[in-house]
Amino acid sequence: MKCLQTCGLVTGFLFFISSGSVFAHDPVFSPGPHVLFKEGIEVLVATDREKAGQEKNSGLNLNLVYGLTSDWAAGIELPYRSADNGLDKSNGIGDTRLFTKYRFWRNDSLGVQESAAVLLKVMLDNGDDTSNPSLGTGTTDTLLGFAYGYESLKWYRWTSLRYRRNGENAAGLRRGDKWLLDFVVGIRPKLPIYLKADTVLILELNGEQGQRAELNGMALANTGGTEWFLSPGVFWTLRNFAVKAGIQFPIASNLNGRQPESDYRAKLELEWHL
Amino acid sequence: MKGMILLASMLWIWSATAFAVGIQYNLRVDGLSCPFCAYGIEKKLTRSEGVESVIIDLEKGLVIVKVKEGITFTEAHFKKLVDDAGFTLKSVTEASQ
Repeated sequence: MKCLQTCGLVTGFLFFISSGSVFAHDPVFSPGPHVLFKEGIEVLVATDREKAGQEKNSGLNLNLVYGLTSDWAAGIELPYRSADNGLDKSNGIGDTRLFTKYRFWRNDSLGVQESAAVLLKVMLDNGDDTSNPSLGTGTTDTLLGFAYGYESLKWYRWTSLRYRRNGENAAGLRRGDKWLLDFVVGIRPKLPIYLKADTVLILELNGEQGQRAELNGMALANTGGTEWFLSPGVFWTLRNFAVKAGIQFPIASNLNGRQPESDYRAKLELEWHL
Repeated sequence: MKGMILLASMLWIWSATAFAVGIQYNLRVDGLSCPFCAYGIEKKLTRSEGVESVIIDLEKGLVIVKVKEGITFTEAHFKKLVDDAGFTLKSVTEASQ
């Protein structure tokens, strides 16, 4: 049972690292409707860290994204993970992720872009799920989402809704599906000038509601629940280079049974558009 | 006499160089809300043969494209490039550099 709890916690973290933003000028911990320009290439290196009770997890991810059209982008995320459950530590290759985003609506005016997009992410099961703590889920999972964004030279606002459907592993364990809801505001303190450094300050409200995990169809008590986070962040850009960073602080938690509550989650991303 | 010919030749070369300038296109573009996103426009335009420079004014939604002498672009060409970058072209005007 302890193993199952650990699996739940680790996979919760794996969910966290896989559910965040991928494209620059999207929020740090949630997706926005941004896509790349046609035939553009994005290279992103990200590091993240999470602590929940005795659990500590961190990782380094490499993302490559390609602009198929001006409204459609697709990419791959290659993670290297480190996990520490307080008793054991492990590190190695995590689950590879394939993702795509399609911007289906855009409304442009002077200095303003409003848009909406749908996104799909598939988390493969190639990560190491034999280590303890596990670095992979052992299942193929999918995430479907919607994102809306309003961006002006001064103000930003985004909202997104995502649903993650988890698969069942060889032992009959199926982690609970999850809903995510995000509200984000951003402000640019100083009007931007092209080719000059630009800073946007962001504040996110991220909600997560997970269903109970099931083992051979039986619901597990110490899994699932609801958490809300308040997440200040920043993105800083210079021409085609961007730095994004943020920290998630839990502000409300209603987890089922006995589970350690999140202490914090942090993320730093370096991104180039080529 | 040789000196006069040399001077005349130099003046001719100078004037030809001085006035050998291309067209400046002023593109009014909507949706330019951040400099990082606007990089796509710079990238698309500078890939076009004959483009000398691209200057972007986000506040005015203005993209100034300077091209080499003898090179011209159509509005349709600019529209495609701006579309590919993910923005909306509102108008194109020409001005001498």
